[in-house]
Amino acid sequence: MKETTNKQKKRREFSLLLSIIVIFCIFGTIVLVVSRRTAKEMSEAAIQNLSESLDLIQSTIEAILRSEAEFQTLIAQEIARVEDPEAYIRAYEKNQTMSKLSLILSGKTEGVSNTGELFTEEDLDFSAGKTVFGLPVSQSYLNYMGTWSYTIKCPIQRDGRELGTLYAEYIYDAIDRSLPDGFYNKQASLYIMDAESQRFVLKPKGMGQRSAGHLNLTDFYRANDIQEPEIRAEVDECLSAGRNILFYHNIREVQALNYMWSVNGGTIFLVGYVPVEAIQQEGRTVNQSIITVIASLLAAFSLCIALYYLNWRQQDKLRREREEERRLHSQQLAEALQAAQIASKSKTTFLSNMSHDIRTPMNAVLGFTTLLARDAENPAKVREYTKKITASGQHLLSLINDILDVSKIESGKVVLNLEKFALNDVISSVEAIIQPMARDKRQDFHLEVTGIRHEYLVGDATRIDQILINLLSNAVKYTPEGGWIRLRIIGLKQRSSQYEHIRIEVEDNGYGMTPEYLETIFDAFTRAENSTTNKVQGTGLGMAITKSIVELMGGTIEVFSEVDRGSLFRVELELRILEEADRQFWAQRGVSRILAAAKDRENRESMAALMEGTGVRLDACSTVEEALEALGGGECQLALLDWEDFGLQGAGALREALPESVPLLILAELDAEGTQEALRLGRTDVLTKPFFVSALRAKAGELWDGADRAAGPEPEEDGGLAGMHFLAAEDNEINAEILTELLELEGASCEIAVNGQLAVERFQNSAPGEFDAILMDVQMPVMGGHEAARTIRALDREDAGRIPIIAMTANAFAEDEKAALSAGMNAHVPKPLSMELLKQAVKQCGKQEETG
Amino acid sequence: MNTAGKHRWIPALLAALTALSLAACGGGGPKNLVSQEDGEKRTVNLFSPMEKIDPNAENVARTASDLTVAMAEEALGITMMYRTYTAEDYQDKTYDDVCLDRARNNMDDLYLLNPDTILALGAEGVLEDLSGLDSAKNLREIIRTANTVDGKLVAIPQEVVAYGLFVNKDLFDQYGLDLPETPEEFLECCRVFQENGIDTPIGANRWWLETFVLAQAYADLYNGGNTQAEIEALNSGEARYSDYMRPGFEFLQTLIDRGYIDAEKALVSEAIEAEGPDFLAGKTPIVMAYWGAANTETAYGKTDFTMEVIGFPSSRGQMPVMPMTGWAVCSGGEHAQDAMKMLDVITSDEALKLYSETNRVISPSKNVKVECVPALKPLNDRIEEGVYVLGSNAGMNVEQWGNTCQIVRLLLGGASVDECMAAFDELQDAALSNP
Repeated sequence: MKETTNKQKKRREFSLLLSIIVIFCIFGTIVLVVSRRTAKEMSEAAIQNLSESLDLIQSTIEAILRSEAEFQTLIAQEIARVEDPEAYIRAYEKNQTMSKLSLILSGKTEGVSNTGELFTEEDLDFSAGKTVFGLPVSQSYLNYMGTWSYTIKCPIQRDGRELGTLYAEYIYDAIDRSLPDGFYNKQASLYIMDAESQRFVLKPKGMGQRSAGHLNLTDFYRANDIQEPEIRAEVDECLSAGRNILFYHNIREVQALNYMWSVNGGTIFLVGYVPVEAIQQEGRTVNQSIITVIASLLAAFSLCIALYYLNWRQQDKLRREREEERRLHSQQLAEALQAAQIASKSKTTFLSNMSHDIRTPMNAVLGFTTLLARDAENPAKVREYTKKITASGQHLLSLINDILDVSKIESGKVVLNLEKFALNDVISSVEAIIQPMARDKRQDFHLEVTGIRHEYLVGDATRIDQILINLLSNAVKYTPEGGWIRLRIIGLKQRSSQYEHIRIEVEDNGYGMTPEYLETIFDAFTRAENSTTNKVQGTGLGMAITKSIVELMGGTIEVFSEVDRGSLFRVELELRILEEADRQFWAQRGVSRILAAAKDRENRESMAALMEGTGVRLDACSTVEEALEALGGGECQLALLDWEDFGLQGAGALREALPESVPLLILAELDAEGTQEALRLGRTDVLTKPFFVSALRAKAGELWDGADRAAGPEPEEDGGLAGMHFLAAEDNEINAEILTELLELEGASCEIAVNGQLAVERFQNSAPGEFDAILMDVQMPVMGGHEAARTIRALDREDAGRIPIIAMTANAFAEDEKAALSAGMNAHVPKPLSMELLKQAVKQCGKQEETG
Repeated sequence: MNTAGKHRWIPALLAALTALSLAACGGGGPKNLVSQEDGEKRTVNLFSPMEKIDPNAENVARTASDLTVAMAEEALGITMMYRTYTAEDYQDKTYDDVCLDRARNNMDDLYLLNPDTILALGAEGVLEDLSGLDSAKNLREIIRTANTVDGKLVAIPQEVVAYGLFVNKDLFDQYGLDLPETPEEFLECCRVFQENGIDTPIGANRWWLETFVLAQAYADLYNGGNTQAEIEALNSGEARYSDYMRPGFEFLQTLIDRGYIDAEKALVSEAIEAEGPDFLAGKTPIVMAYWGAANTETAYGKTDFTMEVIGFPSSRGQMPVMPMTGWAVCSGGEHAQDAMKMLDVITSDEALKLYSETNRVISPSKNVKVECVPALKPLNDRIEEGVYVLGSNAGMNVEQWGNTCQIVRLLLGGASVDECMAAFDELQDAALSNP
């Protein structure tokens, strides 16, 4: 529906635009046609106008010539009648028209003139054969007055006999007086040209010297730049034929009509030019008006179109924005739908997986409990079944933990718990967990630490642990027996002096992954499906969790893998550096120089880098000999020797050279063989690789301070619960029973309150010291654990503030622990209950109580 | 409320528009549509030489002259009518001849005349005495003297015309030549040019070669401190013009004999038309021309080389030759009185200043001074020093400029120097016999 409306709208706009264009075109065509026609008509009118003017001038001149000829004929007739024609001539006075009158009698070559001198025809040129109304006319010439003139000759006849010839000289100035005083507003130029000589015999006056300055036709061509051969050829043709010619040619860059107008059958020509504008003065005004009107109309039309266009553009922009918004919405909805569908699909798959994964151990639990009921009398079987039930329970628990972790990460509820930590502690704990797992599968697990400059850092150590354990346990899981696993901790170039840039690489030569699987490895609810990995239990959530945590820390994770070749996971993190004041520690113990012997250059450099800032000089040598030599260079307070590089022999040599008081530390792998023998060398101990200052410091603390503690070592605490009496707030009957039973197994007892309120009341009514601690479930009816703890702490009892309250909840996350502690509880033990953890918590509470 | 207010204005606006439209369409006035001009139109006819027009060049001399004429037309309400003539070729009547014919027949009111025609027509009494004009009072003395005939000031120029040698300085430099001071040095320069392939080093026409002669003839007369006495001796016949003229003619003969001047070509050549193109093309190193030619593009106002204008070689060094052209009023002209008025305006200090500034020439008015173009500096320096030869002098009883020109043509035509000197003697004798 909407689309149809849009289409209609577009069609309407298009039609409107088309109409505008069509109108524009029609308008333009009309204007073009009209202007062309007008221009043509104006041109024709101009030609006609000029032709008429020239015709008029031509007629005037011809009338003058005719009257001259007629007048001369009359005089000739009169002379024929007089007795003495020559006397008549001499007596004749010159006038404005006729400057000279001469007579040559028949049979003579000389005659008389009214000017008094002798007259001959020699200076006159009648050869062209031109006539004026039948009388021969001479070529033009400059006469005795210095002006251009012509002579007409007329026979004098008396009684049919020729008496002589009458010559009358006329000056062109006489014609000039009869010509208009300039035409076309004096913008036209008018010359009279003698056709035979092509000289200009009469020139315009009063138009400036330039316009008066053409000598002859050639000069006219040159001065007005008329060089086109076609024009000149046509002019020549017209001149010789005595025809008129009009042609367009620009004179000084102004369009002009040039003319050569024949007078008296081509005896003389009117020559000149008229600017077209001068002829079309009114036309120009009309043109200007038309142009103004057209321009105004065009401007108005264009303005309308511009306004319409602007409006249309604005509307279009708005429409497009709306459409874009709509499209974006639709896209987002589609994406959301798709995501929801995918998620739904994934979750369906996951649920299906989970139902299988959960049912499997659950089935085992239920199955074995059935078997347990049947074989209750057989202790060996009972133990076997309970062991299997425990294993299944553990697996079930890890499944649930992962699911919970993912759901928390996905809902954005995970917060990092930033604390200071030593990298060494993290690595050691991870190694302690992974090494046995690897050993169980006869895998070679190797740890390398290089380029780390700072080991005291700030971060969420638990989560870093989680990352490492996830990656490493996967590596152990997906590497067949006898394979190898490498953990590399590499210090990269720092991007900021305040942050240590660390790369963690976990590499194995295990099953590897297909490229398709690699694409989804970090997605939740996926798991490599193949015959090999199906043997491995897992939720498929580990990698998704790992990636989420890494990203939460602002780091990156990459994976490279090939099927049957192994995998490499690479995590990069930036952790804030904690400047630990180490100097004092070493200074207090008088340590200023340490001698270290290690073959590997990277190791030595790493050690030196880590020792920077401690105030201790580390002299690193590559051989024992070198180390022995270095001993002579000054007193050292501690020596380090790489066990893998130099072994017992090296250790012995160095030990021997070292003074008795200087301890020797053997740097060895966690499970290095033969180190026991080295310990026998005296004042020698083992420092687990990789080298960390914190570890060295701990070991140094032991070496220096150990003597004091050795004097009166504290007996190892039992940490048992025997004889203790607990108040337990637990609403779940089965859990309460399990707790009671487990405590009883440990020789302790407990009293159950089914909610927080009752627990508070029971404690309130108890005698001081009746309970050793309160075990508090968190989620309970009536009153929850947190509130109960706060109420207990607020009680007006002497022991209300110090009685240990231990949270015991299925809410097992860090923030749950934090919430419990902030509610006034002392410790947090996650469910399902582990007696070991409970013992530790009780022990911790005991310590807290001691320290106050 | 606002809308109602606006509506009230609309009829009022419409009414105002209608009233305006009616006013625009209406209007009274005389019923005779022909424009009635007051009084008769006053005109003055001017006869002047015609310059052949180059459509692409600017002629500042013409512009300068037109500007002063326009000034007069505006001031007096008189229109100047131009009548012109220029000989098509050497066979035609010369401009001077036509001037004489026309003035004698009272054909025009104002004439632009060359020195010889000024003297001829002045002597015939054809020209008006201009000494009463206001502008005449500002004239330099030399101008007044040169144009006074029988005690009447018969012509006033708009510029002092000085002739000189126009030389291509680059070519002189190229051949290591100094600009010549004396006839001997000049001949040496010509020799060097000829040796270097410039066969005809001097571009000449039939009009201006007399400048060489006059420079040598009268260098001492005008610059020796005894001018008046020497002229009197000539006028009385004690001294002969031919004696003065001979060295110059012999010099010209040498130039012709050695081929430095092409006599045959010169005899049929019009000024600048013949020699100009080669000079501008750098083929001819030396030509002669008048001052204004250095300013106008139609002559030598725009060269691709360094041009300098120097005096003619003489015993007293480089010598400018100054003939006096001028505007004259024909006494019998139809509008002679209006012509006098026009002339008074176009030779006024104001007009001459405009003329000189436009054309960069020496003004005849003692009150007007204008910087010349750099090329003219050597010539101008000599004139400013007071070193020059007059091309014409009304105080001499034999007209110099035109006659010398004619006799030089005889030489070009093959006459001997002696024959030329005989022609001068004849002229002097005729003058002595008609005092």
